[in-house]
Amino acid sequence: MALFEIFDPKAPARPIGIDLGTTNSLVAHVTHERPAVIADCDREVLVPSVVAYLPGGEVVVGRRAARLASEYPRDTIVSVKRFMGRGASDPETRRLGPYQFVDAAEGAANTVRFKVQGDRVVTPVEVSAEILRVLKQQAEDELRHVGGAVITVPAYFDDAQRQATRDAARLAGLEVLRLINEPTAAALAYGLEKKQNGTFAVYDLGGGTFDVTVLVLDDGVFQVRSTGGDSALGGDDMDRAIAHELLAALGFDASRQTPQLVRLVLDEARQAKHTLTTQPSVEAEVPGQQRVAVTRARFEELIRPLLERTGVACRRALKDAGLRPEELDGVILVGGSTRVPAVREYVAKLFHREPLGDIDPDQVVALGAAVQADLLAGDGRSDEVLLLDVIPLSLGIEVGGGVVDKVLPRNSTIPCSAKATYTTQEDRQTGFEVHVVQGEREMVADNRSLARFTLKGIPPMPAGMARLEVTFQVDADGLLGVNAKELTTGIEQTVSVTPSYGLDDASVERMLLDALDHGEDDLGRRRLAENRVDARRILRATRKALAQDADLLEAGEREPVVQACAALDQAAAGDDASAVHSRIEALDEVTRAFAGRRMNRAIARAIEGRRVDAVEKSVDHAKGIEAAHATQGPLPSVGGVS
Amino acid sequence: MTVNPFATLGLAPSFDLDLAAAEKTHRELSRTLHPDRFVAAGASERRAALTKAVEVNEAWRVVRDPIRRAEALLELAGATTEDEGGRRPDTDPEFLMEMLEQREALAEAKQAKDLARVRALAGAIETRSRSVEGTLAVRFARGEAATLVGTLSELRFYRRFLDEVSAIEDDLVA
Repeated sequence: MALFEIFDPKAPARPIGIDLGTTNSLVAHVTHERPAVIADCDREVLVPSVVAYLPGGEVVVGRRAARLASEYPRDTIVSVKRFMGRGASDPETRRLGPYQFVDAAEGAANTVRFKVQGDRVVTPVEVSAEILRVLKQQAEDELRHVGGAVITVPAYFDDAQRQATRDAARLAGLEVLRLINEPTAAALAYGLEKKQNGTFAVYDLGGGTFDVTVLVLDDGVFQVRSTGGDSALGGDDMDRAIAHELLAALGFDASRQTPQLVRLVLDEARQAKHTLTTQPSVEAEVPGQQRVAVTRARFEELIRPLLERTGVACRRALKDAGLRPEELDGVILVGGSTRVPAVREYVAKLFHREPLGDIDPDQVVALGAAVQADLLAGDGRSDEVLLLDVIPLSLGIEVGGGVVDKVLPRNSTIPCSAKATYTTQEDRQTGFEVHVVQGEREMVADNRSLARFTLKGIPPMPAGMARLEVTFQVDADGLLGVNAKELTTGIEQTVSVTPSYGLDDASVERMLLDALDHGEDDLGRRRLAENRVDARRILRATRKALAQDADLLEAGEREPVVQACAALDQAAAGDDASAVHSRIEALDEVTRAFAGRRMNRAIARAIEGRRVDAVEKSVDHAKGIEAAHATQGPLPSVGGVS
Repeated sequence: MTVNPFATLGLAPSFDLDLAAAEKTHRELSRTLHPDRFVAAGASERRAALTKAVEVNEAWRVVRDPIRRAEALLELAGATTEDEGGRRPDTDPEFLMEMLEQREALAEAKQAKDLARVRALAGAIETRSRSVEGTLAVRFARGEAATLVGTLSELRFYRRFLDEVSAIEDDLVA
């Protein structure tokens, strides 16, 4: 299995960027300082995100799977991304589709599960892992040795959906460098291409998700101001709108809709949508049925409500960013669904300008992901570019009466953390129920429930006396951790928010081991190799710091650091993974105070530098925008409609 | 709030401040402190940078939002925004009565699926919200922080009203 090849010592590990899309997925990498997509052996770049489970246990992914969809409609999972991180009873499972779902078993995790060939049950995480395995293989064929991966997710994905994506990558044996938001990735690809500063909106309408992001580009920093969207809105819904029309015209009510028929009609609807991009009308033909004419005018009428929903999200994102449409410097189109002429017209009207679309909207996200992977894996270029992303949805705690107390508001820049303090409602209450929710609504019931846990063992006190401090932490991947502590007693509990929808660590570990031939052995070797890489990296950084900021060392501080470095050097030359690990920790311990002082110096410099060249920079910034406008001329309209 | 968010961003505490400049400082500090800058560093340095990055992001989160900014100013001025039980002091009953009426009008518009009416109600509240922000700017500058607790809770009512409008918009357009 592929994990074995990771340790091929001859080839250098190359980072990759993956766009795990609803309809298609792509993999890209950076070569000669430019991002490029990686094609498969048939020179195809897009891998349809389709997985077919065939009789006899064979699993087929991509174009071949897509062709099998009509023959095996129940066993061929299309648009699996729409099910990621969702519960078994989610409305998404009840939309028009050919699948058979398994009800959540008593006591088991509440996850969508598909029933496929031979009574096999698969989760969306497992289906997505199949797609990622194929992409990884495709990259390995080109690069020989694949390192870490940056995987994109819709900006509006909630915590459960992000965790599910991360689980799928782990299951596919990929090391995840970072999850980044799709619109931010697209902006990265655009910003680097155009080298211009300014404020931009990214309108990303994919197969199954819609995102809008407003961000500021400033000398290599991509700072997201606001984001919004709908993680269940996209091209699939356009297909369904046409499909419902066709089914009605052909006289099929729900009782006569077989999985085969539904699959055929959905496929035909998608074809019709593509044709209507260039033609004023189309004759849709479901095999074995009479033809049905669909005009572009009727299609546009059908998708109007979908566009209105994107409009609400866009206006809100602008408001959150504190901007009027005229204040933007440009609007970037991303996602295959933005090829539909009505979508382009709608966006142009909404933002009072022609949108930009000169990078292929299907590829731009993967290209941006490759750039970020290169930045995170390499050591040189990371000084030039930085993504500052935000949390898409507010995070809060349930308080009395089923009301949400928002602790971290949406559009907070990550990484971030926030504390809130609560008290007991009843006398002698010895436990706190902590209920973590995500969303914008006032009432808990209208938001997404992320986790519940109880802080127990608090000594009985009168109501209002206990002090429960809840801390939220969101890391640079946008993943949440929650800590609760009773301040008068110091009783504490920490949870990483995964269990309600994702896979727990143990089950991922088990699945990985099942997939390995020499499970334990390989994991041991892998751990040693990783620890050695860490050791070398840390030694290099520590020696650099000692040279740079020697004046910040207090008397007697240098010697222990030098000794700890030497000890780590020695351990890294040996075969004992745990010795390497413990000496890394020892070095960490003796450099802690020094690191803090270095950070304070860096901050002082950043603030000082800002005062000195503030005027100069703002002039440059203005020039950058003017220059961009001058060179742009009339905005290019986009060809290449499929 | 343990750290003065204004100081973190190199600003003098004030309600009426140059947000564009504050955002720029936040960006420059992030350029220095973001975890991505420390992928090759040792654990102690990464942790120190992360702590500072989180602090800088919190400062920006507080400063960019009028309500959180005002709360921070009140706290710096030693005025409390909450009583011992974590409750906020009472608001002017007349104002409360009027907000109640506004919420009822909103609920009626929602019932009637009258999006235009919902948006009109929201527009009026947005105007009032901006005007209260103007008042806060003037009175904070005059050093009247201690008397502004009630004015601030008005702003909170407007915020909740507008959040409710967003929720209704989502329901009506879906």
